[in-house]
Amino acid sequence: MDLALTESQEMLRTTARSFMEHEAPVDVVVGLQKAESSLDPDLWRKAARLGWLGIVLPAEYGGSGDSLSDAAVLYEELGRGPLPGPFFSSGVLGALTVLEAATDEQRRRILPAVASGERVLTVAITEPNTSWGPGGITLAPQGRNGSFVLNGTKLFVSDATSATDLIVAVRTGDGPGDVSLLHVDAKARGVTARRLPGFLSWQCEVSFDNVQVPASALLGEAQRGWAALAGALERAVPLLCAYIVGGCQAVYEKSVLYTQTRVQFGVPIGRFQRVQDHVVRLVNHLDSARWATWEALWKLDTGRPATASVHMAKAIASEAYLEVCNAAHEVHAGMGVLIEYGLPAHTQMSRTLFHYLGDPRWHKRRMADALEW
Amino acid sequence: MDFEVTYTEEQQRFRREVRGWLETNVPASVSRTPTSPEDNYRRYLELRDLGRKLGAKGWLYPTAPAKYGGGGLDVDHAIILEEEVDRFDLSLPPYYDSGGRLGSASILVWGTEEQRQAFLPAIYRGEVRTWQLLTEPGAGSDLAGVRMTTAVRDGDEYVIKGQKIFVGSDNGTDRIWMIVCTDPNGKRHENLSWFMIDANLPGISMQPMELMGTGGEGGTDSGIKQTVFFDDVRVPAFALVGGENKGWTVATTHLELEHGGGGRIGRNRVWDRLLRYCQETKRDGVPLSQQQDVRDSLADIYIKTEVQRLFGLRNFYLTYARKPKSYEGPQLSYYRKTTGLWMTGAILEAVGPAALTTDPTWGSSSGFLETQQRNGIVSVHPGGTTDIQRVQMARRIGIGRSTREKAGTVHGAE
Repeated sequence: MDLALTESQEMLRTTARSFMEHEAPVDVVVGLQKAESSLDPDLWRKAARLGWLGIVLPAEYGGSGDSLSDAAVLYEELGRGPLPGPFFSSGVLGALTVLEAATDEQRRRILPAVASGERVLTVAITEPNTSWGPGGITLAPQGRNGSFVLNGTKLFVSDATSATDLIVAVRTGDGPGDVSLLHVDAKARGVTARRLPGFLSWQCEVSFDNVQVPASALLGEAQRGWAALAGALERAVPLLCAYIVGGCQAVYEKSVLYTQTRVQFGVPIGRFQRVQDHVVRLVNHLDSARWATWEALWKLDTGRPATASVHMAKAIASEAYLEVCNAAHEVHAGMGVLIEYGLPAHTQMSRTLFHYLGDPRWHKRRMADALEW
Repeated sequence: MDFEVTYTEEQQRFRREVRGWLETNVPASVSRTPTSPEDNYRRYLELRDLGRKLGAKGWLYPTAPAKYGGGGLDVDHAIILEEEVDRFDLSLPPYYDSGGRLGSASILVWGTEEQRQAFLPAIYRGEVRTWQLLTEPGAGSDLAGVRMTTAVRDGDEYVIKGQKIFVGSDNGTDRIWMIVCTDPNGKRHENLSWFMIDANLPGISMQPMELMGTGGEGGTDSGIKQTVFFDDVRVPAFALVGGENKGWTVATTHLELEHGGGGRIGRNRVWDRLLRYCQETKRDGVPLSQQQDVRDSLADIYIKTEVQRLFGLRNFYLTYARKPKSYEGPQLSYYRKTTGLWMTGAILEAVGPAALTTDPTWGSSSGFLETQQRNGIVSVHPGGTTDIQRVQMARRIGIGRSTREKAGTVHGAE
């Protein structure tokens, strides 16, 4: 048993933290909030040079072949921002989906450009019915001369406004799991991506209006799309959880500092047990998310059955980020809702990720199924 | 990271040896629910007998130093022992011995060499059982406010007078590990002292308290408590551990462990049985576990028990890898207590009124759910209430006071 990071993980953490402090301090994160695209080209290039965009990819596809736990160290640091950008959408979920689903030829064509940052992927799963299971995928391509035509809408697609390539889950049969994955050029005629306005962080509507997709766009085999996506999600979700853990950690540190420095009634507000209770609630959620996430990562990296643990981690982490931000707002009161202070970026992200890739109740039910109760 | 202990061939051989030994030496009868007070006492004697046998092999306190009668084993071997006795629904020690567990740890850190040699072997070998005596009618959460029980020096002895409440279990004790006031006019935190004394001295008497909890000799916790009276009890000055009026310093070790700083590994017995109950019990012809509302409740319950397991595992790791700790001990305690209390409602909702009866036909097997309904509430207070745990956490996080409080020392002489 060893619950410490390895030496190389500690080094990666130091590098990533220093990157965040210099390249993505609070004012940069706040400044990005209103942008239509989450991708800052300068930050993206630097991240690519550091090898972070291919961190989960094997070396043969241009990646660094790191373990998921290694990648989680990076994602915790990115989450501290919370740094926007399609790091997870492209570098983790997109990359792993292509890796799981595609033929070797497709992988060689797509993945090295993902690792270098030239291609930006995002995976379009859910639709106006907001289900994250295979049953919610209803967008059905029409076949025409061996190619496909797409008409319809995908919703809550992360970072679609900065993506160059879309991986679109489509329905190709009547069986519940008869789903295929299409690799669609985001600039193709008839594709429109729009950031949804409101209290959401770069979740987009992607609409398809008579979009012509060649037969070669089918990733791997038809009807195998859901199995591939499920495999990719199982490995990707814990890294989204790590990003959340980093967010919770940053909010925790902000809150502790505030209770130590904000003086009311002549004393730092941390002296008040009511205020302490918020911090206690916060740190309990933070640690729940942290250890559930890391145990899931460990199971995946060591080849143990991990399905239930992954579902549990996402259920805990989604709930934790939301509750952590709630507690932080109770600590910070007025200061906490000032955009420039940086807490609202976390709060909005916590709401966005609560539902993204499945909300807590959805994951708890999948967890119960995986445990075969 | 590695969340599992990996075992060498030697350790696996050790596991086989332990398992074989336990199968021979643990009487099947200890798993019974006692049918009468007499039967309860007979079962206690069986557990004590098992404790002595474990103690003779160094398996009762496996990581305690061998030179004082402990097992001298490393943490991997201790985990194997804990896991193997857990298969019999037992802990180490297999009876309530909180004063032995916390007192011996405190003596290792704060006692003199002579005291370690005098007190520790009997504890580690299972020859004595020890209760801890802390709470008084006027000093519960405010442990530093202990004043009712006093010890006054008289030559080579101290004379102890007063009263302690919420003590021990049933079936009596051999030794007492207690905190008393040794300077009634002294400053707070500088007026207390700890004693390790014989429980059979003249002037000590006990009276059971009738509490809402149930269960006696579960191993780590007890639902049955006593009031203990001290009427001019003369004890040797040698029994004072850590120095006169230095009791608050000694208490940091005791409390760190009592508040969960040592961590725990092991399965959640309530959860295992609850799931089985829900799989075997039908409502409207369908197993409870297949009904969506019950499944949702079970998922919530399971997740809390998993987080509790992870916190326990983390604290266990931090302790044995000798890593610095801050708020993690009281966090585990807080989480365990609030989860237990919350679970009373969650289980009642999932299972219904069958959770409330011990009836062999209409209740759960051996009434384990009814026990949880009571003990989930009772467990809020022992070793510091949920509020005290939160206060501790805040101090360790560094927001409750001007200086950040450090975790208590739990490692003593080896």
